Amino acid sequence: MTDIVLPLLIAVPIVAAVAPLLLSLWSTETGWPVATVAALIETGLAAVLLRSVYLDGRLVHEVGGYPAPYGIELVGDGLSAPIVALVAVVSLGVLAFARSAGPRRNSFYSAYLLCVGGLMGISITGDLFNMFVFLEITGIATYALVAADRSGESAIAALKYLLLGTTGASLFLIGVGYALISTGTLNMVDLSVRLAEIYTTPGGSRVVLASFGFIAVGLGLKAAIFPLHTWQPDAYTYAPDTVTVFIAALASTVYAYALGRVVLTVFTVDFFDAVPLAQDGLLALATVSILAGSALAAVQSEVKRMFAYSSVAQFGLVVAAFALATPDSVLGGVIHLVGHGLMKGGLFAAAAILAARHGARTVDDYARLGYRSPVVAAALGVLGFALVGVPPSIGFLGKWYVALGAVRAEAWPVAVVVFLSTLFTLVYVARLLERLYFADPGTAATPAPGEAVTDGGDEDETADRVDSRVPDSVSVGMVAVVVLTALVVVALGFATSGFETLLDPVLTEVFSQ
Amino acid sequence: MIELLATRWAYAAFILLMVTGIYMMIANANLVKKVIGLNLFQSAVFLFFIASAYVVDGSVPIVHSEGGGGPYVSPLPHVIVLTAIVVGVSLTAVALALIVRIYGEYGTLDEAVLREVSDD
Amino acid sequence: MTEVVDPRPIAAVLISVVGTFAILAAHRRPNVREGVTLAVAFGKFGIIASMIPGVLAGDVYVWSLGSFVIDIPFELRADALGLLFGTLASLLWIITSLYSIGYMRGLGEHSQTRYFASFAMSLSAAVGIAFASNLLVLFVFYEVLTAATYPLVAHDETEEARKAGRKYLAYTFGGGVAVLAGTAAVYWLAGTVAFTPGGIDALATADPTLARGAFALLAAGFGVKAGLMPLHSWLPDAMVAPTPVSGLLHAVAVVKSGVFGISRVVLDVYGPEAVADLGVGLALGSVAAITLVAASVIALRKDNLKRRLAYSTVSQLSYIVLGLSILHPDAITGGLLHIPAHAFMKLTLFFCAGIIHVETHTDDISDMAGIGKRMPLTMAAFAVAAAGMAGIPLVAGFVSKFYLLVGTVSVGNYVFAGALLLSGILNIAYFWPVVYQAFFESEDAHDAKPLVENPLGGAGRSSLAQTDGGRPEDEDDEEDDLDVDPEELGRPDFSGSSEKRDYSEPAPLVDGEYAVDQNPSDHTVDEGDEGDDADDHTPEDHHDTEEHHHEHHHGGPPPSGWTRSGWFGGESTWFMLGPILAAMTGSVVLGLVPHAAVFLRLIDGIVSAVLAGVTF
Repeated sequence: MTDIVLPLLIAVPIVAAVAPLLLSLWSTETGWPVATVAALIETGLAAVLLRSVYLDGRLVHEVGGYPAPYGIELVGDGLSAPIVALVAVVSLGVLAFARSAGPRRNSFYSAYLLCVGGLMGISITGDLFNMFVFLEITGIATYALVAADRSGESAIAALKYLLLGTTGASLFLIGVGYALISTGTLNMVDLSVRLAEIYTTPGGSRVVLASFGFIAVGLGLKAAIFPLHTWQPDAYTYAPDTVTVFIAALASTVYAYALGRVVLTVFTVDFFDAVPLAQDGLLALATVSILAGSALAAVQSEVKRMFAYSSVAQFGLVVAAFALATPDSVLGGVIHLVGHGLMKGGLFAAAAILAARHGARTVDDYARLGYRSPVVAAALGVLGFALVGVPPSIGFLGKWYVALGAVRAEAWPVAVVVFLSTLFTLVYVARLLERLYFADPGTAATPAPGEAVTDGGDEDETADRVDSRVPDSVSVGMVAVVVLTALVVVALGFATSGFETLLDPVLTEVFSQ
Repeated sequence: MIELLATRWAYAAFILLMVTGIYMMIANANLVKKVIGLNLFQSAVFLFFIASAYVVDGSVPIVHSEGGGGPYVSPLPHVIVLTAIVVGVSLTAVALALIVRIYGEYGTLDEAVLREVSDD
Repeated sequence: MTEVVDPRPIAAVLISVVGTFAILAAHRRPNVREGVTLAVAFGKFGIIASMIPGVLAGDVYVWSLGSFVIDIPFELRADALGLLFGTLASLLWIITSLYSIGYMRGLGEHSQTRYFASFAMSLSAAVGIAFASNLLVLFVFYEVLTAATYPLVAHDETEEARKAGRKYLAYTFGGGVAVLAGTAAVYWLAGTVAFTPGGIDALATADPTLARGAFALLAAGFGVKAGLMPLHSWLPDAMVAPTPVSGLLHAVAVVKSGVFGISRVVLDVYGPEAVADLGVGLALGSVAAITLVAASVIALRKDNLKRRLAYSTVSQLSYIVLGLSILHPDAITGGLLHIPAHAFMKLTLFFCAGIIHVETHTDDISDMAGIGKRMPLTMAAFAVAAAGMAGIPLVAGFVSKFYLLVGTVSVGNYVFAGALLLSGILNIAYFWPVVYQAFFESEDAHDAKPLVENPLGGAGRSSLAQTDGGRPEDEDDEEDDLDVDPEELGRPDFSGSSEKRDYSEPAPLVDGEYAVDQNPSDHTVDEGDEGDDADDHTPEDHHDTEEHHHEHHHGGPPPSGWTRSGWFGGESTWFMLGPILAAMTGSVVLGLVPHAAVFLRLIDGIVSAVLAGVTF
């Protein structure tokens, strides 16, 4: 009966999302407690799921009792369980962060819970159309979250995100349509069998390739793979800092997971063997994304934007891992998804704290903050080095497996880019660290603590303009979240065997041939 | 080619609508028109699904107790489109809410002007 | 060889990780902080030393932390080779800690807590490298070492230090990437990356081209830290770091970790036989031979003492690599023995450079004429260590170089033997002037240094002292071509922030005081200057000169000449003199009774294990 956790994982946050709206008739301060209770329940459910998958393998729930392939299946397996755990833990951590960082309105928490529900849905659904629905639920909630501080800039960024995100989801839907028309089913496992019948017949591979192409481009748009990333830097930069932490850690992560899931479960490795064009295209897209994202990150002056472009590069790595479609690289891809979610969330949280304390928004503003906020800066340093891939950290583990997969697949250009991505990442991380600790003592501006809140740190902004993105104050909880993330990122550097046990059944099944 | 258009005109309409919608999203500077373009694009996808479900001489997919009565029109794409329409409507609502907010802040819906305003 | 499960390898690594946090916690109390450093240093050495008898008897201490990645355990193993490096690093850390205290306090440096914490972390990583049981674990500590030493390189927080730090990160992480790629390739080819004395069998039978490629990646990756040309150029720049860092890390722990990596690859991954069969040994040896001669030639022209020592390090490291690349027991013994030998000697030399800097703020060799009477003990130690570097008997360098020479001649490679001899002569050529002018010249009567002062290829003018009158105005950003004007009683005051002094006007004189006392914190000066005193700049160093011109050094003798200190430590504090003499004694002991010192016995064990199946 443990399979009941699967529908609960989706239902709890979505039902809870209604509560803050209703309760705001009574009090406007009820959002946070409701969200926290929901997130705690989610974390508990995720723990149950993780344990069950770890011990007994795949867990399936048929929604409404209709058997697959007619009904909708919810699946918890080694691929989805780590992502579910990540979503649950991060959403709890972000709430700890949001307690004093805000936004505090109840409607924010409604959107927040809706988003969590959507992310959970994408992670555990076993049905392609159901995935589209959850993509859109997540999308709508995310657009609202990005604009949650009600500033003009964030509204523009959110609208841009909405237009491109919806286009992506619609392209995904067209791809699903092709698959549905040619097979008549939407269940992922069922699809994989029926699609195989089609692309193995002469001339039949074209429709499957079209379906794959639409789905890959649609999800690539959502996950912000270069050159489909254009919405992402603005959305990350102009969203309130709390929201940035949340979506940077989770949204693209889950979309990239969806891509991996579709590649591995629906189209399968055999499809790549039958139609090399699909694999080569995806690999090329991923490789270019690593290079372009890193290059763009290195030239940014604003820290949030730098991290945003960094995500473009890192998701290139993840997509490359799934596209390589070897047991090593898929393991690496999942590890890097989880790791990147934690690392990037921690980095954005650290940036938010430094922005709140010192009004630091640009790399230049970070001069010598290592001495004024030693703990946060140290955590940022650890997370940064982990992102570079310095062991022992989860960032290294992910890279090792992806690289090993590339070497074993003898995909040399990919292997070279994956190895060099370490250096590309180093370029912008080192720039930041050098600024934090080794800037000339003279160059560090010393704004009074109170000043930070008002001027937002941007020299060119008029002093009277309030930066609505920045948290009002920094609480111990916020710092604790960042420090804890840094510790977890290092500790997970030793967690290979856990990931391996989780993923082993999936990998055996996927690569059984 | 002609024959393909004559028999598969619904798909041609789908492509036409989709391309028009995407073109509107890219080329139109007005944010509201961009959203209309998005709606067109989505409608094209709905049409695609509906067209795919059509069966010549097919009947409503309600199976009588005595059975038979086929062939039926596939009900699954219809259900999908119903869901997708709901999704589309809510997306449009969110988009319009954002546009109202943007207009309230900047007093314009022209993308080029907005870029200028928010850059400095 | 028996494997003993024992937590001491992991304890030796972790003790200074714990120490790092203790040091950070004690940041408000310098005495406690330094106490922690010393306690941890002694503890670390104690733990490692306690394993020596067992390892000499043939035991291997192993401690596994479980699986790190699939099929590769996170395991620490103290075998003879690891213990060689671990003992060396931890022993010299004790000496360096004492010296650091004297040095950092003597200069009143900033951020001392960060300094000591990073130092402790670096040593953890170094010992981790020593005890790593496979390539991947080695890589882990190799990267940690890079990250931990970065704050030490960029310690000064000046533009020059930041540049050096950037260069350091770029080079060493670049090397790390190559190591990781090589590790992945080896794992792919052989299915294992565990160190096996004599080499992994599967590698010897793998596709030779791919095996060569993997070897090239590993050698290049470790070669970055080992200072193999053309990957060496971070090392001279990193001399901007405080001198104890240059001493322990950039002559012992960091650079030796690169050499140690190469020795692991040659001895325990590929095995000397496979290295010779694949033909990569010859390639590696050639790179090393070129490096050791070329670096010596470059060292000849460095006026800054620490830079000269850095190029000497580049050269000496290649001795080790050269020894490893030759399939002969004597060559390998010589190469491995040069690891501790060079460490003791170079540490002495760096400590001497540091103490001269602290006491007199002199960094350039051309300012050091007659310094022997100011710092007699220091310069005597310098002379002994320099003699060892050149391979003069009774000092450590002789023994290792002798083995190397015998090894190269035995395999009939006279080109390598010639390179070794040539470099030995060059060693004398670049160290002797320092010693000579310290003791046998005085500040007001010394010879010109044509090699240092003239541009490459010679200048069209005499190198003798001449006045600079009549030079065009637009050359006023050039340095005065006299290092010390014999006639001038006082020294121009280059201090302060006067951005551009008009050198055609006489400078205000500083009377009766060291320039140091005027500028207590001008610690970082012109390590970047290469031909600073040359009148006619070559294009490449012109850039450097302009860069650092405004902060030109204030070194050199005080106006009244060097004061005379006795031979009983009046020249400085014993905090610094003690370590210098200890390191010097170490190098002499290693030279006089190599078998009594534990290193050679460890090496004998390593070589016999590695070459067990090889016949000559």
